[in-house]
Amino acid sequence: MSQDQTNSFHQFLNTRVHIAPLAVFRILFGAMMFASTLRFMLKGWVYDLYIKPQFYFKYYGFEWVQPFDSVGMYTLFVIMAIAALLIMLGYKYRLATLLFFLSFTYVELIDKSNYLNHYYFVSIVSFLLILLPAGRYFSIDTYLNPLKTVTHIPRWLMLPLQLQMGLVYFFAGVAKINADWLLHALPLRIWLPPHTNLPIIGGFMEELWVAYLFSWFGAIYDLSIPFLLIFKRTRTIAYGLVIIFHIATAILFPIGMFPYIMIICTLIFFSESFHLRFIQIIQQLIESLHLYKSENRVSEIKPYLFSIRLKKILTLVLITHFSIQLFMPFRYLLYPGKLFWTEQGYRFSWRVMLMEKAGKTFFYVKDKTTQKSGEVMMSEILTPNQEKMMATQPDMILQYAHFLKQKYQEQGIANPEIKVLSYVSLNGSGSRLFIDSSVDLTTQKESFRNKTWILPFTTN
Amino acid sequence: MSLSKISLRLFILVLTGSVLLTACKEKEKDKPGDTFDKAGILTNLSDNLIMPAYADLKKAVDSLVVANNNFSTDLTFQSFVELQTKFKSAYSAYQWCSTSEFGPAESEIIRASFNTFPCDEGQIINNYTTGTYDLGSASNIDAKGFPAIDYLLHKSGSDNSKNFSMLSNSSPSISYLTALIAELKTKTDIVNTTWSNGYRATFSNNTGTDAGGSVGLLVNQLNYDFELLKNAKIGIPLGKRTLGTPMPEKIEGYYSETSLQLITEQIKSIENMYLGRSKSGIDGKGLDDYLDHINAQYNSGSLNTAIKNKFISVKTKLAAIPESLANSVVNNQAIVDAAYAEMQQLVVLLKVDMPSALGVLITYQDNDGD
Repeated sequence: MSQDQTNSFHQFLNTRVHIAPLAVFRILFGAMMFASTLRFMLKGWVYDLYIKPQFYFKYYGFEWVQPFDSVGMYTLFVIMAIAALLIMLGYKYRLATLLFFLSFTYVELIDKSNYLNHYYFVSIVSFLLILLPAGRYFSIDTYLNPLKTVTHIPRWLMLPLQLQMGLVYFFAGVAKINADWLLHALPLRIWLPPHTNLPIIGGFMEELWVAYLFSWFGAIYDLSIPFLLIFKRTRTIAYGLVIIFHIATAILFPIGMFPYIMIICTLIFFSESFHLRFIQIIQQLIESLHLYKSENRVSEIKPYLFSIRLKKILTLVLITHFSIQLFMPFRYLLYPGKLFWTEQGYRFSWRVMLMEKAGKTFFYVKDKTTQKSGEVMMSEILTPNQEKMMATQPDMILQYAHFLKQKYQEQGIANPEIKVLSYVSLNGSGSRLFIDSSVDLTTQKESFRNKTWILPFTTN
Repeated sequence: MSLSKISLRLFILVLTGSVLLTACKEKEKDKPGDTFDKAGILTNLSDNLIMPAYADLKKAVDSLVVANNNFSTDLTFQSFVELQTKFKSAYSAYQWCSTSEFGPAESEIIRASFNTFPCDEGQIINNYTTGTYDLGSASNIDAKGFPAIDYLLHKSGSDNSKNFSMLSNSSPSISYLTALIAELKTKTDIVNTTWSNGYRATFSNNTGTDAGGSVGLLVNQLNYDFELLKNAKIGIPLGKRTLGTPMPEKIEGYYSETSLQLITEQIKSIENMYLGRSKSGIDGKGLDDYLDHINAQYNSGSLNTAIKNKFISVKTKLAAIPESLANSVVNNQAIVDAAYAEMQQLVVLLKVDMPSALGVLITYQDNDGD
């Protein structure tokens, strides 16, 4: 880069922009998270996912994360809901974002079988929100202490959320560039036909060309939408596409709140005047309820002031964060074999609704001292959802084998051997052997190293 | 051309294409070979399999009630044997219902209430001696239903005169038996009424693909029921869970030694549910037709053929097990094990291959995916 370019890039990053988009993002994100947390509790999922199970699939390195008892778990969710509400209102903003991030992430770390890309997304966004001054405008904090009000921030504080959103879409698009998705319209050719009951479009769901069209449209959409959202000229069309795309996925797939969260979050790309108008409408709404009078409307520019030290820390944290974000989706290249089959390096990479995978694993135990053997009756310990998630993910199969070893040792079998008979079908391939059934899994250690006991994917 | 223009044009193309094709499609909707009629499977299953099975169960339970009334007013050996016979036919009739644990059967918790085995003898004795018990409570789940009745009627196994004298000399057992049979009747009646008053339509019209859609319910319950058959009725007694030590006392129908008959009924019922075939053998629309329609493959052949053949070989291997099962899990382990292994392969076909071809979510739990 030439000196000039460096300078203009520097200038670009430090240009003052209005804080309104950040404040609106905070309000909407807080509201969505509050609603999601309530929904989660009302559906009884706190009990189903975090109280009922007898065993939890821990993340490597986070084995210390334990669920609390039932009172503790509900308390944690109530804290999460309150924190989300406080984020929305902008009251004790830093504390609220920190609390929300910690409680939400803690819950997600309890059990790998509940991993969803959109939960990961929420964790990341709430992490970024801790760093950003989104509570410094149109918030209770600034209402109570008008001196805290900030109207303008350097652009580099606006970019992280936009960049994060862009990465989510872009990597979701990159993940779709594979032969199954583009050349064979898989898995959509399996997923669409059952939807013949939909009004109007139902009749086309069994047509192969529709599966191709959806596949290609999805891939092009994901790859291009970040760019279309950046430029003013294409933004309105892009947002129309965002709505169509996410509503379509909401109709076709059981993905809960995710489509709506994305529809709301992409507003961060809109202009400052859009967001100011949005705030104005809320202001009028609140005033019409006679809750407060906005006498302290700020007209002068109040820039965000922070120390050089804070700037250095923020820069360092953001650069580290985004370097990790860029690395994660490509770490699968460090492993041999077919990614969708082995799932080594699959999670945390924005691979959303990419494959149809189902499996069934039978566990066998053998007492090496007496040579007696038997089978493990799965349903006695795992919930159906845990069993289903485990059946297609080797690291979870290994974890469960280790748990069984411990359990049998407690029952007095000093030397148990655990082997599995595991079948998986990937993108309609038909069931085939997944794990080497001659390997005693108690002798295998969990690590980031290649799992040699995963059998290669074979095509007919 | 900029990316935005490409997307825009693509989008317009999709939209106009869809509209045009919908317009054309409307006219030729009735042509065969268009979209598969899923509601047709559901209607066939509800009208020709599920509802008749519940109606049969109701008939059998009603006869059981009559036989029990006769017995309690006329404590003769003859009326006792008649009661045992009616019990066996009701237990057999139930096997045809156990796959349909959704809708009213789910809200009445039929499977657990009717058929939790082995029963808890101590709890049963305690219940009828104290005379204070709440059959609705969870602690009594293994002190009621067919297994508990089986125990009261066949405590002494093949010594039937002893079976008779033990029951007829104990009026507390007789009233407990009456209470158990009354619960069977109440629940069976509720399920029957609910199916004919509304649930039939709910079931047939719910052609959605979510976990609550009828095809999803059907596939999930088919799998759940079949795995229960494999594990609880054969695997556990065979000693699969106990490092090879057989557990004959854990079998279904242990006291009356009806286990193999019950298993035979249930596997036929599950096979019929898959095929859409009525008990009398009339083949209607089933999951098999759906798999053929979408041309589902298994090892370069038809998945449907693979499943159908596997059902046949499972039935053959089950039929090869000599009476009684309690005896065979101890003395003919290899034969029982062969049947078990065959069933295991069918589990894979039904639980892995079939749902992933159908695009049906296999889950017993409502949750978000991504």
